[in-house]
Amino acid sequence: MSDTNNNFEDLKRLLKLKRHEVPPPGYFNHFSGDVVARIRTGEAGGAQNILERIQSDSPFMAGLLQLFGARPGILGALATGVCLLLLVGVLFMDHSEPGSAPTPELFAQSAPDASPTLASAAPLEPADNGITVSTNPVSSLQPANTLFGSPQNPLFQSAGFTPPGQ
Amino acid sequence: MLTMSEPATVPDANAPAALLEGDLVRRARRGDLTAYDELVKRYQERIYATIYHMTANHEDANDLAQESFIKAYSALKSFKGGSSFYTWLYRIAINKTINFLKQRRNKHHLSLDDLDFNAEHDPDLVALVSEKTPQRDINLSELQKKLNEALLRLSEPHRMVVVLHDVQGVSHEEIAEIVGCNIGTVRSRLFYARQQLQGFLADYIKS
Repeated sequence: MSDTNNNFEDLKRLLKLKRHEVPPPGYFNHFSGDVVARIRTGEAGGAQNILERIQSDSPFMAGLLQLFGARPGILGALATGVCLLLLVGVLFMDHSEPGSAPTPELFAQSAPDASPTLASAAPLEPADNGITVSTNPVSSLQPANTLFGSPQNPLFQSAGFTPPGQ
Repeated sequence: MLTMSEPATVPDANAPAALLEGDLVRRARRGDLTAYDELVKRYQERIYATIYHMTANHEDANDLAQESFIKAYSALKSFKGGSSFYTWLYRIAINKTINFLKQRRNKHHLSLDDLDFNAEHDPDLVALVSEKTPQRDINLSELQKKLNEALLRLSEPHRMVVVLHDVQGVSHEEIAEIVGCNIGTVRSRLFYARQQLQGFLADYIKS
């Protein structure tokens, strides 16, 4: 054991040689600056990597992004158009009749004599603005032919619908 | 010049330097790169030295040291202050180095740093080498090469404890904290590693 301890002392002295190994002169002068520069590049490169990924995965999207970048007015016009479409859709929904969707039974009842019934049934009372919109998707677009000819007022298409409870 | 004759110590929490370091860490966590630059400057030599002694390759040590600091910066938010920043940073560097060495297993390429001019005047080395040949400078280079080759023959965990304790002067307790094992394991690894090195360097160690 004493030999081992003694040899370990020699080994420790030899290992001291490692402490004299030094990097090239001035090596540490720029080390921290290089680290910080790489951190900054990494922070900026995070966003850049997303763009590169879009370009490789979807050239169409990349072209679109390029177009929008070159002409931001187009993007603005597109966004305005989308908003207007949404607005029109909301308004359209607001003006349609609430709860007036016909049930399948009622379709079956009214279907065989849909044509004469449509002409002979009492016309729907128009709304305050003079426009009445039938919720029957077929009859509302096609004027029904009756035994007595075309209906007097093609705008009024009776749905042949009896509200429940009445 | 890189000389590690003084053992590395954990800063006293009451010392002004420790308070300043705490402030630097807080600022760096908020994204202050100037503060982080200061932290890098504090520990760059020690981190580089540990990695270099483990890899015996200056270029690898350069890359790994930089990447360790970069990783530490991105992981700053996870640093809860349970250990000193120095210990936490060391742990990152060591794990990175060990993972690198495992991937590069059995493919060692020595790229040694030069010995500084103090080497040939170190009394311990003078006593050791003068027993061999009078041409000390040549023997020192040969010794350096043989020593690094012998270290590379050790497994990474054994090499690590020798580098940290016998080369860099880190205490057993700190090594246990850095490496994540108990002090008994550190001591047993150190003993085994020294035995191995003694065998590899038998021609150069003479009682």
